Amino acid sequence: MSEKLANEAVVDRAVASIRGLRVDGGEVFLRDGQSTSIEVRDGEVENVITRGERGIGLRVLRAGHVGFAYSSDLSPDGIEECVTSARDIAAVTEPDPDVSIATRTIESPDLNLYEQGIDGRSVTERTSVALAVERAARNVDARISGFRKTTYSDGTITTIVATTADVRGTYRETYFSIGTSAVATADEDRQIGYHGEAKRQFAAIDPEAVGRRSAELAVGKLGAQTFKTQSLPIVLDPYMGMALLGALVPLFSADSVIKGKSLFAGKLGEQVASDRVTIIDDARMPGALRTAPFDGEGVATTTRTLVDTGILRGYLSSLKTSKKMVQAPTGNARRGSYATPSRIGAANFHLAPGAPTPDALINGLDRALRISSLLNLHTIDPISGEFSLGATGDYLEKGERRYPVRGITIAGNLTTLLASITGVANDLVFGASGLGSPTFVISELSIGGA
Amino acid sequence: MAVTEQDAARALRTALSRGGEWAELFWERHNVVTLTLDDNKLEDAITGVDQGAGIRVTVGDRGVYANGNVNDGDDLLAIAGRAAAAIADDGGVREVTAISADELPRPSTVAIDPRTVPIERKVELMKLANERARAFDPRVHQVTVLYRESVQDIVVANSEGRFRKDRRTRLVFGVLVTAKQGDVLESGYKAKAGTEGFEMLTDAVVLETTGTAARLAVQNVAAEPAPAGTYTVVLSSEAGGTLIHESVGHGLEADLNLKGMSVYSGRLGQKVASDLITVLDDGTDPGKRGTQAMDDEGTQTHRTVLIENGILKTYLSDKKHARKLGIAESGNGRRESFRHLPICRMTTTMIAPGTSDPAAILASVKDGIFVKGMGGGQVDVVSGNFAFEITECYRIRDGKQAEPLRGATLVGQGPTLMSEIDMVGSDLGYSVGTCGKDGQGAPVADAQPTLRIPSVVVGGKVMAQA
Repeated sequence: MSEKLANEAVVDRAVASIRGLRVDGGEVFLRDGQSTSIEVRDGEVENVITRGERGIGLRVLRAGHVGFAYSSDLSPDGIEECVTSARDIAAVTEPDPDVSIATRTIESPDLNLYEQGIDGRSVTERTSVALAVERAARNVDARISGFRKTTYSDGTITTIVATTADVRGTYRETYFSIGTSAVATADEDRQIGYHGEAKRQFAAIDPEAVGRRSAELAVGKLGAQTFKTQSLPIVLDPYMGMALLGALVPLFSADSVIKGKSLFAGKLGEQVASDRVTIIDDARMPGALRTAPFDGEGVATTTRTLVDTGILRGYLSSLKTSKKMVQAPTGNARRGSYATPSRIGAANFHLAPGAPTPDALINGLDRALRISSLLNLHTIDPISGEFSLGATGDYLEKGERRYPVRGITIAGNLTTLLASITGVANDLVFGASGLGSPTFVISELSIGGA
Repeated sequence: MAVTEQDAARALRTALSRGGEWAELFWERHNVVTLTLDDNKLEDAITGVDQGAGIRVTVGDRGVYANGNVNDGDDLLAIAGRAAAAIADDGGVREVTAISADELPRPSTVAIDPRTVPIERKVELMKLANERARAFDPRVHQVTVLYRESVQDIVVANSEGRFRKDRRTRLVFGVLVTAKQGDVLESGYKAKAGTEGFEMLTDAVVLETTGTAARLAVQNVAAEPAPAGTYTVVLSSEAGGTLIHESVGHGLEADLNLKGMSVYSGRLGQKVASDLITVLDDGTDPGKRGTQAMDDEGTQTHRTVLIENGILKTYLSDKKHARKLGIAESGNGRRESFRHLPICRMTTTMIAPGTSDPAAILASVKDGIFVKGMGGGQVDVVSGNFAFEITECYRIRDGKQAEPLRGATLVGQGPTLMSEIDMVGSDLGYSVGTCGKDGQGAPVADAQPTLRIPSVVVGGKVMAQA
């Protein structure tokens, strides 16, 4: 049997091992996560899944070269091998004088990310949450005929970052999530609606609300009609809004800006959106899903206004890009897992709410299309900003829903879209992706159809 | 570690020690090297190994799956113990059939294991791509080159006595070119990917891939936006098969058909497409990105006829859904890694070639859209509505390819579209991708001949009324 090291000991050993090499420095990232998922379908438990994951990812710096290696073998030999691999592969990279490791001491303030008691929760208790989601969906409408899958998950994650410059930070977090896809049936017409949410506390997830929205989405698409090709104002509710806002994040990446792959390059201080638009990235919001005390490089996170009433005020930066731009690092080098290096990303990225209620906003529109689902969001090109998406929606007249529509496309460019946001409501919601959005209105988009 | 038959038998016995009817072990060791050249620099070099196992125990339709990283036999037994504890079945201890190893033929040949190739050679190919892309046109503004090699060793064993090993070697060489003209930025992407060894990445292949990416970026930066509306569309075989993957393939996955979650549910033996349409999924097509000797339950892969001359024949199955639907095991139970349960997935999916001359198909259309490149897509299998991205297309005027268009998408409903296709070409073109389903990625390939769709919605810009 090989020796089993505790997390802190693994990190100590990796840091010591890097120090033992003739290199300029290094960074050690450890993630240890345990999770449980219950998959239910139509009232029956299908699967109970328990996952364990523990590994390290290392960066080793030598004369501007940087190598990255990861391993799930955390025995003393496995750690040694990982360190050697990182050093060896560094040789093939080209030196970059701006590559560095964190040197500034970090703190781990309590950001309300961890809840005690996950381990003691029984499978029965977890299952009952998933069953409650399905029950709530069925209560919405008799036409709810089944579910593709309903899932409850919870988990705990421990993250440690340490550098050879004596930076070290640790935090623990928990999450609880539920999601379902309800199917509504009327004669030959079958429609699905997905909804899910994720929170840091068990009591914060709301099976009733998730079931209800999923069912309402499915039922709402029944009897949809084709729609003529035309341009119309578009209404996005918070969930559809955050789906589109997510595509904006890469435009703020300092790495893309430096490499000329962002439409926001060279636009600091300029108008990039309508004056209704204020975009905030807040990594310190207590208890929020993407809140963290420090990022994947061990740099303290921040709260920033990226767009202030339409004016571009900042980019998202890592240690390297902040050096290149001669700016303070913003703590946006995020880690997807121990096996991938830090990539620039957002924390709790959101569109700030406006003053009117959603109803007041929509009632002022003579004719509009409210989007109810989008297909192909992953194909939005962050470089050109172009999007052309499959969609379903509700046709509205003076805020009243006339009929649902199907088989349409919406298309445009993200920069035009930002400039065309003519109204933002007061109903800000944060979703399971960590993004936040209120209801908002785009003055006009191209709709492809019959 | 390497899992032996003895390790597997012990783990399976532990998994079934507190009840449960059937147990399975999936173990993998996955070695990955990823290199990224960006902004003229070899910027990222990543190497790593992930080793772990998952143990599944089932009772009737209920399953337990415990998984985690594994470094030795003790770790494996700990996971088996976790699975046993969670199944909480009072059915008594089940026997494990004596484990016996057998070997399946590997459809893809790996002449050169990429791990034996000096990393300098990989970097050299990436630099070649970077230089050629930059030399292509002054409007080329940025170039990103990606190289990824992945060697996955797996073992699947189950309480029926199965013990099978497989090695999957997968390479991806991708080129992303950004072109700039005035304030307009556009990108072009092309990837070469497959399950052969490093021999697939020759200078010629790299140059061809690079040339396509650069040409697309430069062409798109000067192209007019595609018009929104309903058009006649010719899909060139060059575009590959995203269409078949989204519009039909997902809807034929058995897990979605068990409880009526697909527009194809309950329609075996029925007409679901035009007579011209035959659809196959072929996990044995040598060298293709979706090819492997067996799926992730150890079932040998097949060439499965899904739709024959418009008639639905069968679904793509894993063990559980083959049993429940009473259909053959097609070897389509795939999982992203030991962290996931297998689900029904495609491998290499295609529309079989027909008899029409591809040039005649184009010539038959007076006014329409000619699609020569498809990107990502998505489908809602319940309604059958799908969308996919078009990466290269042109206006058709009087039967000829005319000006290029950008920013288009195609949307439709699977069975409707498949019934409307009225010309099928005698050619066949492939494309590669990574398919996402239930949060798991799977390497796939798709293929199709040149096709004519009389009327379909194209997404783009609404043009001013004439």
